[in-house]
Amino acid sequence: GTARAGAADDLMLGGFRLSGEVEAGVREYIERPPESRRAKFQEYEDMRPGFFLNYLRLSLQKPDGMYGMDLYGTRWGFDDQRYEFNVGRLGLWEMFVEWDQIPHVYYTTARWLATETGRGIFTLPSVRPPLAVHNSAPSLDEIALQTNRGLIGLKLTPTPDVEVTTSYQVIRRDGNRDFSMAFGSPGNNFYGILEPIDQTTHDFRVGVAIAREQWQAQFGYTFSYFANANRWVRADNPCFSGTVVATPGCAANDFAAGSPFTGQTSLPPNNMANTFTGALGVNLPLRTRINTAFTYSLYLQNDTFLPHTINPAITSPDLVLPQRSLNGIVQNFIGNFTAVSRPFGSLPLTLTAKYRIHDFQDNSDQITFPGFVLNDKTLEGARRAGRWSWIRQNADLEGRYQLFAPAALTIGVDWQRWDRNEHREVPVSDEFGAKAALDVTPVDWLLARLTYRPTFLRIERYNSAAHAEHAVAEDPVTALQGQSVLLRKFDEAERNIQSVTALLQFTPLDRLSISPTFGYRWVDYIASSLGLQQEQAWNVGVDFAWTPVDRVTITASYSHERDTSKMRSRSRPVTGTGATLDFVDFDWVSNIADTIDSFTLNVRTTLIPSKLDWIVSASYQYALGRIDNSNPIIPKSGTAAQNLTATAQPWPAFEDELATIETALRYYFTRSWSASVFYSFQTFRKQDWRTDTLNPFMGPDAVWMANDSRNYTAHIIGASLAYRFGR
Amino acid sequence: PSPPTPAQTPAQTPAQPSAVTPPSPADAGYVGSETCKGCHEDQWNKFAATKMGRLMLQHPRSAKEGMGCEGCHGPGKEHVEKGGGKGVGGMITFARNDKTPVDKRNQVCTTCHNKGQHLFWKGSAHESRDVPCTSCHVVMENFTPKHNLARATVIDTCGQCHVKQKDQQLRSSHMPLREGKMTCTSCHNPHGTISVSLLKEPWPNATCFACHADKRGPFLWVHAPVNESCSNCHDPHGSNHERMLKVAKPRLCQQCHIESRHPTSPYGRDVSSQKFVLGRACLNCHVNIHGSNHPSGFAFTR
Repeated sequence: GTARAGAADDLMLGGFRLSGEVEAGVREYIERPPESRRAKFQEYEDMRPGFFLNYLRLSLQKPDGMYGMDLYGTRWGFDDQRYEFNVGRLGLWEMFVEWDQIPHVYYTTARWLATETGRGIFTLPSVRPPLAVHNSAPSLDEIALQTNRGLIGLKLTPTPDVEVTTSYQVIRRDGNRDFSMAFGSPGNNFYGILEPIDQTTHDFRVGVAIAREQWQAQFGYTFSYFANANRWVRADNPCFSGTVVATPGCAANDFAAGSPFTGQTSLPPNNMANTFTGALGVNLPLRTRINTAFTYSLYLQNDTFLPHTINPAITSPDLVLPQRSLNGIVQNFIGNFTAVSRPFGSLPLTLTAKYRIHDFQDNSDQITFPGFVLNDKTLEGARRAGRWSWIRQNADLEGRYQLFAPAALTIGVDWQRWDRNEHREVPVSDEFGAKAALDVTPVDWLLARLTYRPTFLRIERYNSAAHAEHAVAEDPVTALQGQSVLLRKFDEAERNIQSVTALLQFTPLDRLSISPTFGYRWVDYIASSLGLQQEQAWNVGVDFAWTPVDRVTITASYSHERDTSKMRSRSRPVTGTGATLDFVDFDWVSNIADTIDSFTLNVRTTLIPSKLDWIVSASYQYALGRIDNSNPIIPKSGTAAQNLTATAQPWPAFEDELATIETALRYYFTRSWSASVFYSFQTFRKQDWRTDTLNPFMGPDAVWMANDSRNYTAHIIGASLAYRFGR
Repeated sequence: PSPPTPAQTPAQTPAQPSAVTPPSPADAGYVGSETCKGCHEDQWNKFAATKMGRLMLQHPRSAKEGMGCEGCHGPGKEHVEKGGGKGVGGMITFARNDKTPVDKRNQVCTTCHNKGQHLFWKGSAHESRDVPCTSCHVVMENFTPKHNLARATVIDTCGQCHVKQKDQQLRSSHMPLREGKMTCTSCHNPHGTISVSLLKEPWPNATCFACHADKRGPFLWVHAPVNESCSNCHDPHGSNHERMLKVAKPRLCQQCHIESRHPTSPYGRDVSSQKFVLGRACLNCHVNIHGSNHPSGFAFTR
């Protein structure tokens, strides 16, 4: 509507023009997934049947538009409700408040024998039952997390060129996540448990921005504090209760004397961050603009350490902690500089230069522990906790030239350097890149964007023992069992990347746009004897939007994506003496491929003008994952058992499929009243051999929770009534 | 009553933050918004209902804002004198077929939108490829409840070009985007930032820490690639692998780790090695993979 003050059809309240909308209804299931199949269905949504207040919007505004207030709420009373409120004076100040709740259901299939006797303390019967008994353990209702977020803020604009903003946000998380605890190593005697979540994050932000015609500056400060009410989680060992009694399903070593009957794992410590930012943008002669910005942030953490173990059978003077806490300090300095210039008068050439530096300095104490306890079970030698600092620099230079009116070509080069400290395998790496981008608008109804970008990462040297050198103090045997010298970690390895992206936008009609996209990326890890060898990813997609007449709007999209990678690795058995065997014929290759098709459709149409609308939206997604394993050479160099372990096994494919349809008819009785009926359908199907057949007890000395996402189908119908008032 | 003209407004609203002297119709070919309304009443009315319309048509705080329609479209005198019509008088229409260069069109917007989220527009990924502001925003009416977007939602707006990322929200492992709890701008600022990939926070991990502060540390035992970038392992737009991992476990971990004692061909024959693959795979034991503060947590098992 227009801004006509005090018009006859305005609804006035205390000198304010009142308008709003409310919708309530009822939802019922034709088919509701059973509790055990609801995890994916209600992953982030509260889908309870029955009455619902879908939304309420309330707006108060002075007739002259100067003062206003808006309240919006959706899904009132549900676990995923959200409210927004703002009030302000136009162009001068605005206060805003938000409250948002997000449920996150992870699983509804877990079976668990343990009981939580205190927060984060999970106990089993004092006489441990055979592990097979865990398979008939009671079901947990759900493993879920509830996140509630509140925000209050104020924005002041005392003059159009000055803006002051401040806000306070609190994020509260309550619930549990799936977790596990090992009581032996490697990989034996572990128990699937819950991670108790009672976490709160407080964020306070303040910022000032000043904008003049020739320069703009802004400054900001953010304080963030994370508090975790649970610093640890304790769980009973399903194989050992403190008395040496054989527990069926466990290996003898799992219930040997001195084994832990309870273990303790740390949970995220409290921490805080202080972040200062400053930025300046200046317009200079020769149509030049420079932007410069810095960020300095300080991450602090100083929680008291837990003891090495709570297993009373393990004592040693080496387990006396050298200090009570980390004195954790990480300093981030990030500097940015950008210059954009079109210096040559009528010559349509734009030059851009960018430089960025990120200095991540972990200045926390570097602590050497004289001894440590592996999984509450074994006393081991010294370990040193290294600090991982790095500097990342990026520089870009590019020129963009308007070849002729409808075409612009961008040519650029860039460089990225990582300087990592001695604890990582590659101290220095340089990645050089180039870019060619063409943007063409040959005719009004066609826009084409094409980008080609090759990059080449090179390193000075690769020290495969870097990690062990700092971490494993006085333990050469363990150091030898570390990484293969042939391995190159993918994030540090030398590589060549070729990538191409293309976007076309066809707009043959004012209200019709068709935008096909294409992307291709090839990564060749040129010096990795073992590790990731190649990656190839390509995708095609199209976005479609059409409004053939005012009454009909159609949007749709489709995309196909295929990501493949090839990795080579090696089975490396360890003998009883601790020696690590490195046989070339123990190499294996894994070809990994993910193929995903996605489709969306939205149609909004007015069947009878001002009377009847019809909306339908649908989506479909299918993903197929394959991991094909093979040995380039048949493993023969080891013992029969070692050869068998080194022989690659076929892995079944895993796939998932999601289809949704929602449709609604809305009938407008009057300008104010309308009613709708709706139908919603969702189906989800997956096959994943890694979780589908998971029982709590599957094999020697391991107990999972059998948590898994299950297939579901849901049919929902409902009706709602909406009332709209004011204008 | 009709809405006040820009020329009338300052005098009628003495509480204005700053004195305003909008151009008179005689100035440099300007005719005033009321003249525009004469032929473009429908558009005028829709614009007047927007926040920007209220500001520019009713409560301008500056001479620029007081220029109303012509503040963005340019002086209309020639257009009016030639009888109006599409393309007449050299006005900026902001339509797709507008002959005005994109950078000139965008400059109109950035004259006022030059601070806060817009400070780093110049030189940004979208600016440097001549993406018009009007690709994403419809200024003339309240097409969406917030931000005057060109499509119904932020995701749909970005998805016009970023189809792949838009469709990733459909994947089995995703953040709550399709449920409406997050959107592209929860992490990205499409107007330009000092960060990579137009992230709002200064570096990628800081963006993740905004919600996942439990991962911020610093921890006693650090998993080095985690410190460098969460995106080494996760694809935040969505994945067909749990926890938005880029590659299926345990292969993801094995791309960097060939430790001894951890069998790598574990399905089918060797039952004892299932524990390295099934369920949470490597994380069955290495639970604190984002970092541990436990004195014995060097392998992230405590």
